Amino acid sequence: MRQYLLQKSKFNDFISKVMDNNDVIAPVEAKKEKLVSKSFFKKINSAEEISVKKKTYHPVKSFFFDPKEVLFKFDGNKIIDAKISLKTRVFFGVRRCDLNGIYHQDIVFLDEKTQVDPYYKARRDASILIGYHCKSGDDYCFCNSFELKDFFDLMFYEKDNTYGIEVGSEKGQKFISNFQEFFDETENAITDADKIIKNKKKLKTTDIKDKYDSKDWEKGADKCLACGACNFLCPNCHCFTIEDDINFDLKTGERIRKPASCQLKHFTRVAGDHIFRDNKLARFKHRIYHQIQYFKDRHDIVFCTGCGRCIEGCPARIDWVDDIINKM
Amino acid sequence: MTTKETIISKSPYKPIPVKIKEYVRETADSFTIKLDWKLKHEPGQFVFCSLPGIGEAPISICSYDDKSIELNIREVGNVTNKLGILKEGDELLVRGPYGTSYPMARFKGKNIVIIGGGCGVAPLKGSVEFLEKHREDFKDIYLFFGFRTPEDTLFRKKMDIWKEKFNMHITFDKVESKSTVCYDGTEGFVTQKVQEIINDNDDTVVFICGPPIMIEKTAEILLNKGFEEEDIYISAERLMYCGMGKCGRCMIHGRYTCLDGAVFRYDELKDYKDD
Repeated sequence: MRQYLLQKSKFNDFISKVMDNNDVIAPVEAKKEKLVSKSFFKKINSAEEISVKKKTYHPVKSFFFDPKEVLFKFDGNKIIDAKISLKTRVFFGVRRCDLNGIYHQDIVFLDEKTQVDPYYKARRDASILIGYHCKSGDDYCFCNSFELKDFFDLMFYEKDNTYGIEVGSEKGQKFISNFQEFFDETENAITDADKIIKNKKKLKTTDIKDKYDSKDWEKGADKCLACGACNFLCPNCHCFTIEDDINFDLKTGERIRKPASCQLKHFTRVAGDHIFRDNKLARFKHRIYHQIQYFKDRHDIVFCTGCGRCIEGCPARIDWVDDIINKM
Repeated sequence: MTTKETIISKSPYKPIPVKIKEYVRETADSFTIKLDWKLKHEPGQFVFCSLPGIGEAPISICSYDDKSIELNIREVGNVTNKLGILKEGDELLVRGPYGTSYPMARFKGKNIVIIGGGCGVAPLKGSVEFLEKHREDFKDIYLFFGFRTPEDTLFRKKMDIWKEKFNMHITFDKVESKSTVCYDGTEGFVTQKVQEIINDNDDTVVFICGPPIMIEKTAEILLNKGFEEEDIYISAERLMYCGMGKCGRCMIHGRYTCLDGAVFRYDELKDYKDD
């Protein structure tokens, strides 16, 4: 793939130019007065707001998988098609774990064999993904435990006074040509050594097939509060609920889709009040098996991308990597 | 660049309205509706029925006919209770079909045993109707149906016809002495009848549908009689919202009930029935 260089001194001008015609969504550090000193993905108003120093607390998935997606509106039995209005969105500063999260969502939602999800596709088509290569992760990252893909439209690598840019798709190449005054084409600027991410944590094995009945899972399930934070912070988790929101006239309304958490009891509740995964242990194992094994069995790729947000955000501090799987 | 508006006109989640052609009350808590809906489907598949403002529910198809679709529905939840008070001529929203089917064509020339419990008889009705239409393609056919009481018997008219055509046995968990319904069956569990009657496992395929405990016990009896796990097909039931392997709700140990099921081969699911 082709490579380019961008002078760091020109970076703010470049982002401002992009902002003329597009929404730019990038990590922004939370305001000082906030208790959590994390960064968040947000539509920015000026290039100075961007801060790529820290991994964001939330993944980018909510920009693709809307927390309240209207599937259609209804008026009695008459169906009114949903509309999605979007400007082209340029995502800047997405890390490799989150990019792979989007890749995994693509496998689920853009699969032609089952059905292409048009809502996800509309959001995805209106997006350009510009990655940012983090040289070392934080205390929770373990992305090196998996073979993450080179999945991006453009990827920014930090060099002394420049950004080395790798093109990953035709969409990315087209984007470069739209802003070519900022970029200088180059060769071999990005080497394999530049692609290394240092991790403090490592998941020792992704083969947990024979460990389903292990007692060690109880260590996590006993502490688990079944709050579902791990699901909502995960860049991959995509389970959802569909329900009807009806207006006061009891005739019109909309059918909506919203994210669901497999850690909550009602996740498998059927009419008649039967709950299939009634105990916390089964639910706890279900999440981790979906991440590590089930998805791999079906699509030949591990679902988890090792961002570590589920460990970082867990109020009970359950470290399923170091304290559970690695000790089995 | 200005804002681009995408109208989602082709959505797999978008249902179509259909009319109810016929409404039959089967028992105190279940009814059968015939829909004016031409749908190509196989026995064992299911559709989503919905009422705007109430919600959507997956319902198995209980007929084998290309001209219309029959659904037997038990009133247990929000959607099904509301469906129960509709009348002939009313409209509801549907989409489908989804799921795997009983692979009937593959079993030509074999003996077939069909075992159903309660409303689990409904998904099997389509396969029995298939056997009726293609009777000469199969060897011996046994039907075992279990209901709670004689009052809970489904498809009475059909049962009278099948009694003549097939080797059929009906059981009731409990028969009250004051029972006013004319019935033709014995008191006891359907598992006891299977234990008693089925002896030959040669060239035989079994379909089971019913409550999980009944499926488990019946499969246990059959395996003890020397049946292979690959010759037993069971139906699983889970909460589901999409029918396309996206919502993740119906997953049983990595398998989607909506894509890989609802009809599973017994060996695919045996260890994870409670998951």
